[in-house]
Amino acid sequence: MTFALTLSSSDLLLLLPEILLTSWLCLILIIDFSFPQLPNEQLAYFSIAGLVATLGCLVWFDVAGITGTLFANMFALDRMALFFKMFVVGSTILVILASIDYIHRFKFFRGEYYFLVVMSALGMMFMASANDLLSVFVTLEFSTLGFYVLVAYLREDIASNEAGIKFFILGIFAAALLAYGISLVYGETGKLVFSDMTTVQASPGLVIGFLLIFAALGFKIGAVPFHSWIPDTYHGSPTPVTAFLSIAPKGAAFAILLRMFFVALATFKPVWTLLLVAVSILSMTYGNIVAIAQKNMKRLLAYSGIAQIGNVLIGLATGTKMGSDAMLFYLLTYLFANLGAFAIVIAVSEAIGSEEIDDYSGLGRRSPFLAFSMLIFLLSLAGVPPLAGFIGKLYIFIAAIKEGLYVLITVGLINIVISMYYYLIVVKKMYVNEPHDRSPLKVSGPIKVVVYVCLAGTLAIGVYPQPVTDWVVSAIMIFSNVADPTASLPIPPAILPFGG
Amino acid sequence: MGDYTLLYILFAPFVGAIALIFVSNRQTMLVRGIAAGSALVSLLASLYLFFTYDHVKAGFQFVQRFEWSRQLGISLHLGVDGIGAPLVLASSILLFAGIFVSWHIKDRMKEFYIWLLILAAATIGVFMSLDLFFLFFFYEMSVIPMYLLLGMWGSHTKKYNEMTDPEGLKQRDSVGFIFNFGSNSKEYAAMKLVLFLSAFAVAALMGILLIYKYAGLNTFDILVLREQAKLMNIPVLGTTLDKIIWILIFFGFASIAPLWPLHSWSPVGHAAAPAATSMLHAGVLMKLGHFSIIRVAFEILPETTRELMPIAAVLCMFSIVYGGFVAFYAKDTKYVIGYSSSSHMGYVFLGMAALDYISLTGAVMYMFAHAMATGMLFAMAGWVYDQTHTRDIPSLGGLSNRMPFISGCFVIACMASIGVPGTVNFIAEVMIIVGSWNKYPLQVIVAVVGIVLTLAYLFKMMRGLFYGPMDQKYSHAHDAVSAADRLPLMIMIAVSIGFFFFPMHLYNVVRSGVDPLIAKITRVVPVAQTGEGSGVRSEASATPRTSDAPLLANNPSPLTPYPSRGSE
Repeated sequence: MTFALTLSSSDLLLLLPEILLTSWLCLILIIDFSFPQLPNEQLAYFSIAGLVATLGCLVWFDVAGITGTLFANMFALDRMALFFKMFVVGSTILVILASIDYIHRFKFFRGEYYFLVVMSALGMMFMASANDLLSVFVTLEFSTLGFYVLVAYLREDIASNEAGIKFFILGIFAAALLAYGISLVYGETGKLVFSDMTTVQASPGLVIGFLLIFAALGFKIGAVPFHSWIPDTYHGSPTPVTAFLSIAPKGAAFAILLRMFFVALATFKPVWTLLLVAVSILSMTYGNIVAIAQKNMKRLLAYSGIAQIGNVLIGLATGTKMGSDAMLFYLLTYLFANLGAFAIVIAVSEAIGSEEIDDYSGLGRRSPFLAFSMLIFLLSLAGVPPLAGFIGKLYIFIAAIKEGLYVLITVGLINIVISMYYYLIVVKKMYVNEPHDRSPLKVSGPIKVVVYVCLAGTLAIGVYPQPVTDWVVSAIMIFSNVADPTASLPIPPAILPFGG
Repeated sequence: MGDYTLLYILFAPFVGAIALIFVSNRQTMLVRGIAAGSALVSLLASLYLFFTYDHVKAGFQFVQRFEWSRQLGISLHLGVDGIGAPLVLASSILLFAGIFVSWHIKDRMKEFYIWLLILAAATIGVFMSLDLFFLFFFYEMSVIPMYLLLGMWGSHTKKYNEMTDPEGLKQRDSVGFIFNFGSNSKEYAAMKLVLFLSAFAVAALMGILLIYKYAGLNTFDILVLREQAKLMNIPVLGTTLDKIIWILIFFGFASIAPLWPLHSWSPVGHAAAPAATSMLHAGVLMKLGHFSIIRVAFEILPETTRELMPIAAVLCMFSIVYGGFVAFYAKDTKYVIGYSSSSHMGYVFLGMAALDYISLTGAVMYMFAHAMATGMLFAMAGWVYDQTHTRDIPSLGGLSNRMPFISGCFVIACMASIGVPGTVNFIAEVMIIVGSWNKYPLQVIVAVVGIVLTLAYLFKMMRGLFYGPMDQKYSHAHDAVSAADRLPLMIMIAVSIGFFFFPMHLYNVVRSGVDPLIAKITRVVPVAQTGEGSGVRSEASATPRTSDAPLLANNPSPLTPYPSRGSE
């Protein structure tokens, strides 16, 4: 494959958000090294400023409709990529805000923490645009590199080190699978760009290759049976890193999965639907059932995250445009609920130094604000109206029932009930049980901001989802080739109001 | 008022709940004032709604429609017909009464009122939803506040409190490795209630999703679906799709009703709940089940309803008898009332199963009447519990000396619950019995036996609580003397008695909602019989329907549907 690199200024414009963030990344590092006495909050707010600027740039692109491809289709900037980039940048901002108080636990390299978080975010922004297998590999590894360090950031803590080792070994293993898969696919087809693969013929090598790639991406999103790293890594990592790990890489990996399944493998839909149905059922059921037995809040959220990913995979398994709309919608609701829940875990662990569910006893008396917010986030994760999670689940189920995936929906519905149980156990601890110690908890400003943002998102999407559904529907327009006719049906016939 | 009445009724409690968030718990009167005020707005608006509902025009009135999600075909479509209007009124009466019943709550009063208002608003929302999505939305929304109300302000049963020795603790925590709260605790009751109702709610959701898919109209609107959905005769899994959907919908919603054998969550839930919650729960939450079955299964699947409704006729007998006997032997006041509620809900199912104008009208009126009667009983059981801190009937007695007002009201409440002439329950019961006699004589006999049972257990409880010798440790118990304490009981008694003497508006309103429904169910051409289970079915469909003819003739427009029907 010959590759002539020509870049015009309009091409560079497409890279503007990434260029902006890269230069900001360098600035963070320079400032950190030049002013070692600078308080950490300053650096955090500086990083946030850069991320907000990037977010503004992305919003501008989205509104102005600036899209295109670069580097012989390796880098695609479409509205879906913009959605996932905003998703990543938005969650990074919230994570950094939530880290400000936590950072004092790190003995060393506090400045580099922000550098690594933003670097991972940059990698995930590239992931959202990765449009061929090579850029998938490069961007995936780029974004994971930062996480390898971040997970083990509590150097004195054995659990954090263990988490780092586990994550590193399994991550490298996944990378090897990915590289092997890519080589098989390239060997069979001679193609790397997703949109060129639409005409490929099935062959054993191709099937194995794509299965290996799927396994590597499944590792990223933490779907069963590629989930084994999740509980220990989530448990051992610094909590803001866990929060980051639980949302941003999953979003970015789903961007790649969507491109792979909906563009490259569109013709094999009946086959991969079965695969995704199986993985989805396993993830939901395993995640929910094991979560029941958890005693630690972070582990509970880790297993609940596995189950939530199973729900998102329902949307992918439908293979329709509506299914992918629902996925994006669901990921957004998951972002708010999950980050909000982790922010409260951080706040509670800052105040009482524990992440055990048992220590949440009487939180409703000690801090009504934290308990109420946690209640809202957990109920949103469980899918209770009028919260965002309910609409997300329903959106996914509607998309799935249109494709006739009855077994999957039945399992999904049963899992809602199972998940209700363990979320309510936490609610019971917070509200019904009496506190061991009645002193009120202090909540710091930045955490409050995160919680308020997440509360607003969870409630607003739940009460009136129309703007968000419009957004996700237009973000997925690129997949109109797989769109089913019903998805674009006009508005149902208007009903004449009768009576008083 | 006018067109926006439904919005006032629905959103006043929500606004009240939001306003309460910003009030401090120390400002007791302000908290009570906001809660009572928002409930009063809701109550006044629903009185207006009920008394201005035009039963000659019938159909859905006060309709409001707001686009909510284009992609999913959901709109916030509100409206009440003759079935919804009285139930909305009952909900707002019970909410208003419940605010006063819980006047003396000390622990986290603000939070209590917030959840109570949300619970009531969600319930009211179901009664006015004309969109399947929002019906489910509000239905599911009413479940979670129950968990918090039971868990935070509920009470353990006597058995649980007794088991404090090490042996007992082991026994108390031995029920299941998952439900290790102990089977008599309020936590257990709350968790059981939520999981039970959610499990059946998702079955109903599956039914709703199947309707959505197979109607193929990309809408959840009940009015569109009932005209245009063609769900009949689609073969699935050896039977037809409409039957599967009907079974899912029916049992999904019947669990909250609660139909035997899906009732087991309900008495433990009632027993654990604080008084105002029990009132709302038994008074209106249970009716969500019947109402949703009528709204979804009767409206959208009329043919299947006619074919499968005998299931309800069979199960309602067990509900009536089983509930009655357990209530007779129960020793806990709230268990007695809880089982009596689940027994009385069997009458409603009987009235629904007969698919007759009179019996269904009776069933809807019974829902309204029972809301008042059971609301009173729970309010007074709550009062007695607050004064004596026990609900154990054998250890109580002779309280009529200490609380003459309460014991007087209790007599009236028992009368209402039994259905003695003088209360609207009597009219409703008679209508159910008369209307169902043609089709289900056996069930009617059972129902009459059930009335005798009701008399037996309620009088037994009354005697146990208020008459006989009094234990001296209850000598500090005092009567409801302040206006705030007497108001809720007076309201419910007034409504219960008032509608006995002036039942015509209630009857006309309910009848105007029932007529088109029954006309639609009984008129349609029979569907293909599959052969199996034809015993029950043929009995149902072979019953001569001549008795309806004069009724049809009497009514101005039973067969003329709403003006804009089908014109969409």
